[in-house]
Amino acid sequence: MTQQIIPGFAPRDARPKEQIVVFAIGEYSFVISASAVQEIRSTDSLGGNIVELERPVLRKVRHVVERDSHSYYVVSGYEHFRLPLSRPTSVLILRNVPAAVLVDRIEEMAEMRVLLGLPRTFCGEERTWYRGLTVVARKVVPVAEPRGFLTSEELRQLEAANPGLLQRVAHSAKTLRQQRERV
Amino acid sequence: MNREYNNGVPCFVVFQVGSRRVALPRESVAELIASPQLFAFPHTTPIIAGVVLRRGRILPVLDLGPGVSGGASPSTRFFLVVERRISGATEKCAIPVQGACELVSGIMFPGADNVDFVVGRLDLNGDQIDVLDLEKAIATCSRSQDETAGVTEVLS
Repeated sequence: MTQQIIPGFAPRDARPKEQIVVFAIGEYSFVISASAVQEIRSTDSLGGNIVELERPVLRKVRHVVERDSHSYYVVSGYEHFRLPLSRPTSVLILRNVPAAVLVDRIEEMAEMRVLLGLPRTFCGEERTWYRGLTVVARKVVPVAEPRGFLTSEELRQLEAANPGLLQRVAHSAKTLRQQRERV
Repeated sequence: MNREYNNGVPCFVVFQVGSRRVALPRESVAELIASPQLFAFPHTTPIIAGVVLRRGRILPVLDLGPGVSGGASPSTRFFLVVERRISGATEKCAIPVQGACELVSGIMFPGADNVDFVVGRLDLNGDQIDVLDLEKAIATCSRSQDETAGVTEVLS
């Protein structure tokens, strides 16, 4: 017997959904969970909030940016993924990770319904970079691991070379803001 | 009849990597697929050219060209799906192939060349076809890509 079709009631996809941001660096698209992103800004709007690192120990991190009394290491997306030089126009300020990632462009906001594990054959840095793979608009796209942009070891190196810098930048920005408010 | 043997004679899948025809034992090959698209994304594992989607599963694409035929394989939509044992589990991978694949049965003779990834040789109507040890071929390809990457880094 065929199942009766009730007009207006489409079969519901019960798979869990995750809101994602699809971004691009160079010719590649990536996905990151929207819940891992605090804010998306244009690189033009960061201007005065950027401080150069005193000792850049990582090629991909040269600056610190301050946003809302918090400081973030600015991670070059193309350097992180070992891609050729690109032209970032947007920055993803991450939640729960002191990193702001420079990307070329935001492609769309979408929903992820499936997260496929990275095959075991992949045995390089991509195991740190990605949570897995997903399919967006019939394309297989890697899902970025937010904590992969700056590993705990990389954070330790940055802090060791630039002790207290994150806190100082956040504090001085806060002080400046308070002075402006008084004026 | 066992599919890996034809009247007691072992079976092999003969395929083309770049300009070279090689063979794998039948039991290591799962299927030949046509995939419309190869998806590439950044990674640092040598030999992986990208992934293809097959029945909702992701298959990494391993290009044997650099080690087996001396250069990257031309783009293709045909892939030989092989099974590998990695970290105690079985994983399917896809190998890009050019031209036709054949299932043949024959006796494997010891290889004449001193190449570690060649385990033997088939005589197919006078054509000498090398039979590969897949894991050793993958290791050789990875090494050759690592060396190329090293040279590129030195030059850049």
